[in-house]
Amino acid sequence: MSGIFWHIFTFSAVCIFLILIVYRIISIVRLPVHLRWELAPIPHEKGKAKYGGSYLEEYEWWQKPRRKSRIAPIIYMAKEIFLLKGVWKNNRSLWPFSFALHTGIYFFILTLILHLINALFIITGTPLYVLNVFKDIAAVAAVMGYILGSLGAVGLIFKRALDADLRLFSSFSTYFRLVFLAAVFISGAFAWFYSGDFASEASLFVKRLITLDAGITVTLPLAAHIIISLLFIIYLPLTDMVHFITKYFTYHAVRWDDEPQDKAMEEELSGLINQPVNWSAAHVKSDGKKDWADIVAGESGEKEKP
Amino acid sequence: MKKKNLKISDISKDGDAQLTEINIDELILLPPPYDKSEELPGFKKLTQDQKERLVCNLDGFVALALPKPKSKEEEEKYVRPFISGLKKLLSKENNWTFLQPLLLSLDHCARCQTCNEACPVYVASGRNDLYRPTYRSEVFRRLIEKYAKPGGKLISKLKGTDIELNWAAISRLYELSYRCNLCRRCAQACPVGVDNALITRELRKLFSQELGWAPQELHEKGTVLQLEVGSPTGLRPDVAIDNVKFLDEDFSEATGIEIKTPWDKEGADVLLLHSAGDLLSFPESVMAFAILCNAADISWTLSSEVPGYDGVNYGLFYDDVQLARVATRHAQIARKLKVKKIIMGECGHEHKALMTVADRLLTGDLNIPRESFMTFLEDIVFSGRIKFDPSKNDFPVTLHDPCNIVRNLGIVEPQRRILRYLCPQFREMTPHGVDNYCCGGGGGLAVMSDVNITDWKAGVAGRMKLKQVLEAFSDSPGPEVNKYICAPCLNCKLQFRVIFNYYGAREKSGIFCGGLAELIVNAMVVIKKPFINWGES
Repeated sequence: MSGIFWHIFTFSAVCIFLILIVYRIISIVRLPVHLRWELAPIPHEKGKAKYGGSYLEEYEWWQKPRRKSRIAPIIYMAKEIFLLKGVWKNNRSLWPFSFALHTGIYFFILTLILHLINALFIITGTPLYVLNVFKDIAAVAAVMGYILGSLGAVGLIFKRALDADLRLFSSFSTYFRLVFLAAVFISGAFAWFYSGDFASEASLFVKRLITLDAGITVTLPLAAHIIISLLFIIYLPLTDMVHFITKYFTYHAVRWDDEPQDKAMEEELSGLINQPVNWSAAHVKSDGKKDWADIVAGESGEKEKP
Repeated sequence: MKKKNLKISDISKDGDAQLTEINIDELILLPPPYDKSEELPGFKKLTQDQKERLVCNLDGFVALALPKPKSKEEEEKYVRPFISGLKKLLSKENNWTFLQPLLLSLDHCARCQTCNEACPVYVASGRNDLYRPTYRSEVFRRLIEKYAKPGGKLISKLKGTDIELNWAAISRLYELSYRCNLCRRCAQACPVGVDNALITRELRKLFSQELGWAPQELHEKGTVLQLEVGSPTGLRPDVAIDNVKFLDEDFSEATGIEIKTPWDKEGADVLLLHSAGDLLSFPESVMAFAILCNAADISWTLSSEVPGYDGVNYGLFYDDVQLARVATRHAQIARKLKVKKIIMGECGHEHKALMTVADRLLTGDLNIPRESFMTFLEDIVFSGRIKFDPSKNDFPVTLHDPCNIVRNLGIVEPQRRILRYLCPQFREMTPHGVDNYCCGGGGGLAVMSDVNITDWKAGVAGRMKLKQVLEAFSDSPGPEVNKYICAPCLNCKLQFRVIFNYYGAREKSGIFCGGLAELIVNAMVVIKKPFINWGES
């Protein structure tokens, strides 16, 4: 394959990935404010989060200052993301495979960052001993990521196929994405072991990519790994695996959203309750023209909008 | 009949056949003397007549008494409205209220089943597949994907998630949406933040707001009756006032202190919003509040305006429109009375409906401060305005945490501070606080009693809670010691009554259920006779 192929394919894949991810994020962010649906424990509740308490425990809470922790939600999320605390607590038999897969992914991402740093080092002529240290770290991170990721993905395929609880909920697409993930990691592991100096080869590839050097050449195993990985990142935003992004919203925008109504919100709410509603059940009394406020006010006694 | 290992697609198959069966021998074991299944009442079987008249195709229980369609054509006529409802759930105009939480929960489930073990219904049932929090959600998710999204039919086939929408699926989903307490333990357990209880509520909402299907106890005899006459109990304003007057006299005589309940006092500091069900089923709770408010010299009032004397809001369980109508009415009444704040009575879902869920519906001057009775009572107890003698409460007491107050609102400690102070033998259940198990009556089930669902509520949904209660009192299991379970929520108390009646727990174990205010009054120095009568009158 000629060098230009790698540039087109890689940059296209990364662009598609970013566009799809940004699109998904925007489509969530642009959804209207919803009714409160918080769920304890909420970690930002200073002094109360450890037992699940909230500011509503205060006598005349609206008169008291809110005491919120900024760091506690980050710690909570870090334990969830890096240790899979929830799975450990509630689904112990799944944890080893899930933990291996997720840790493999984190090492994989770390490796990509290190390859990029090394490429920049090569371009800027950073001293060799610095470059070598980073290459060594990249090599270790890569192999750890590939091994853990492979074990996790393959383990989850077997776990899903053999465990009756999981089998019931596993469709073709569930297995497909696990096989895809396994292919990313196994191809990476193969490329790592096949190559005499995986970190150098990968860093050089990245360097030639970002310097638009048409003379890119990679070994067949690394080429296969890069192609599978790039196809995977195009596929990723189309699946529920984007929970690595949306988890922020399920927690911060729903479970931990305990903000009482304020002036800014009231403005948005006024717009929302003035939208036409067309639910069909008789008791809703919607004629397709009435808005939410009319429908509620008409039945709530006083003829006024809430 | 399939018992276990249900497939998602089974929901659409064999429309008249029962999908699963609950076997009493497979339920989780209870401590003695409830450990012998042959000595327990068992489940009422559906009669032949019921099977002929009603849709009975789920689990051998019927909560909704849906009449059987008379023809294939009648069955098919519900498919199109159901699809229309699915689409409306995904639209900003019709479902702005919960669109973001719904989409997040629909689109990001990893199908890891981590939530299952958190569900007391699933675990207590002997882990019946039908009751997994994920089962109904996955059916719903696949239906939405196939029927409400562009290219859904093709994508479902490609993904291997194809599912057929027919009468069997619709009728089973309707009944199945009322096999969940909406307690949200599953949501707490989900590492991704998916909320299966929310999905269940959205499903109920689709049935109610699009097809006009809802349990009569929640709708016709619930929110509709409440908005028309004042209360789902049927209690009209004048009758409510008469009842309370009678209770004032009765309890004044019994306690030796004068009790006078103020009505419609404009400009009072506090509008106290009881559940009218307490007036009828647990009047001592209502009187305990009156005694405490008067003793603490609080400026307070009840409202006699429809539905200002009943704080329940069943809309929370099934319908956003009805939820908003009832909550708006409550706020309008408070505004009219010019009170400084509304105090939620001992009713869990009232707390959630009015304090948080409706918070973003009550705009402008309807946004009157709203507070829980827990903090209100805590302030009274520790204010020094009333003298207490905790030795009067020297009997085993445990605390039930109503999901809607504790797990959903994070009000955990005020009630505990009161109990630790006033009840020398207070002990916790395991688990407790925000991890506590639902009583089994959550999600509206406490007030539902059609056909044979009461047996399911007690025998399956309430089983985990009974186990917890018995374990909390394991140091004195027999009936010779009176034991008090403090359940500060009307629906929880009603459910405990159902559980205790079903298992004979009052007689076998001496367990009595009441609220928090009664325990406080029982410890008041000025109250000479015991206020708690252990269900003897």
